[in-house]
Amino acid sequence: MTTPAKILVVDDEEDLELLMRQRFRRQVRRGEYELHFAHNGREALDVLAEIPDIRLVLSDINMPVMDGLTLLSQLKEIEANVSAVVVSAYGDMANIRTAMNRGAFDFVTKPIDFNDLQVTVEKTLRHIQVLEDALASRDRLVALRQELVVASQVQTSVLPAALPVTEHFDVQAEMIPAREIGGDFYDFFSVDEYRMGLVIADVSDKGIPAALFTMVSRALLKAAARNHESPSACLYEVNQLVSQDNDACMFVTLFYAVLDLRDGHLRYCNGGHNPPRLICQGAVQEVPSSDDIALGIFMEHEFHDNELVLGVGDALFLYTDGITEACNASEEEFGEERLDELLARRADAAIPDLIAEVVVAVEEFAGGVAQFDDMTCLALRMNSNKPA
Amino acid sequence: MANQSSLTVPSTEQDDAVVLCPTGRVDGTNVTILQGAVRERLEAGQVRLVFDMVDLHYISSAGLRVLLMAARDLQAQGGKAVFCNLSEQIRQVFEITGFDKILAVHGNREDALAAL
Repeated sequence: MTTPAKILVVDDEEDLELLMRQRFRRQVRRGEYELHFAHNGREALDVLAEIPDIRLVLSDINMPVMDGLTLLSQLKEIEANVSAVVVSAYGDMANIRTAMNRGAFDFVTKPIDFNDLQVTVEKTLRHIQVLEDALASRDRLVALRQELVVASQVQTSVLPAALPVTEHFDVQAEMIPAREIGGDFYDFFSVDEYRMGLVIADVSDKGIPAALFTMVSRALLKAAARNHESPSACLYEVNQLVSQDNDACMFVTLFYAVLDLRDGHLRYCNGGHNPPRLICQGAVQEVPSSDDIALGIFMEHEFHDNELVLGVGDALFLYTDGITEACNASEEEFGEERLDELLARRADAAIPDLIAEVVVAVEEFAGGVAQFDDMTCLALRMNSNKPA
Repeated sequence: MANQSSLTVPSTEQDDAVVLCPTGRVDGTNVTILQGAVRERLEAGQVRLVFDMVDLHYISSAGLRVLLMAARDLQAQGGKAVFCNLSEQIRQVFEITGFDKILAVHGNREDALAAL
């Protein structure tokens, strides 16, 4: 301890003060202990009121004016942040038990064995330190939890609150963070009158740093989408920006697609993300893409556009690996096979039902086992083409 | 939150290099163990590391981040990180994310050591 531990010795025997100063002189000289004295319980309470931060009280039991047991009760009553060690006559079990019941931490017996006393004092001081550390980390934890709650609200508030409703397509998304604050995100926005931007992403790691990276990536992509028609050009720009000074080696896997509502033409770029699924006439297939990489790991990477046509009635299913890597109690993963089987079986389900069923299936599979990773999925079905 | 899952990082020294064998699974709850194992070697001036993944069943993106950071830190110290014996599943994760293009991945330990 850097500051001296303040110890209050309460005893009506005048010569104890001398003895204590003598026995603990080294600790006092080294600045480890600071000794204070009182001659009865009343005086002890006065000293405690006057001198802040006394953490250890060493008290005799039989004293005039206010005895040691009453002092213990008083300490409890005023909720003093002190630990007490009582000094009692050898074999005085009744008083010792009473003292312990009233919250004493330990006791020593008279005549005082100073070696024993020193061991007891040190043990008690260590106990106090542990208590204080625990209190401090509890306070920090409370503060941290509070931050997480706020950050989580901020993050949820940036997800599109209402997905657009039009006759031409249905769309629905769900994100279930594993902790208070997640590293997944999705987005859905109008690029222009005829085209919609569609994003799903997963940031390395969870927690506050990941969440900040998530927010930055999401904002950068949305900004890039206004500057470039080509998804690969957008990913290239975002990658340039997030790769700079990226000492923490954060990265994000991100799939970005632009859907032309006039003809179902889908232009997309996959930055190291799990391939989405195309649900076409009851069949499920991976959306194929060029060999691109996650954003943030290599600044010079050139990204590539891919294209496909979403026919009327066809659906896209986008997800993060929290879905397929959800584990049950036997550490088995939900896996792509189960996902594909479900998507094929429910190929004709309404989009909101499909999303709900995937979430339920994963949760039922996990059987209440808490998950390490966020789970996000987004589905879209083309209902009709928008007249040009 | 789930319990911390099990991860140990036994190591051996071989041909003037250190071989780390992350064993179990790496995810957000235990990634600091892997990070600590790498930092320990860096601080000891050991900058030629092989990550033999033969006993690693799973790695999350948080784990990938630590591998990338290790590769970058070692390179900055004039060293190198190489990876070998990836399970099918981990190889897939490397391929999807593009980490196989950024990190030096080899089939087995001999090839990895030779590439250091």
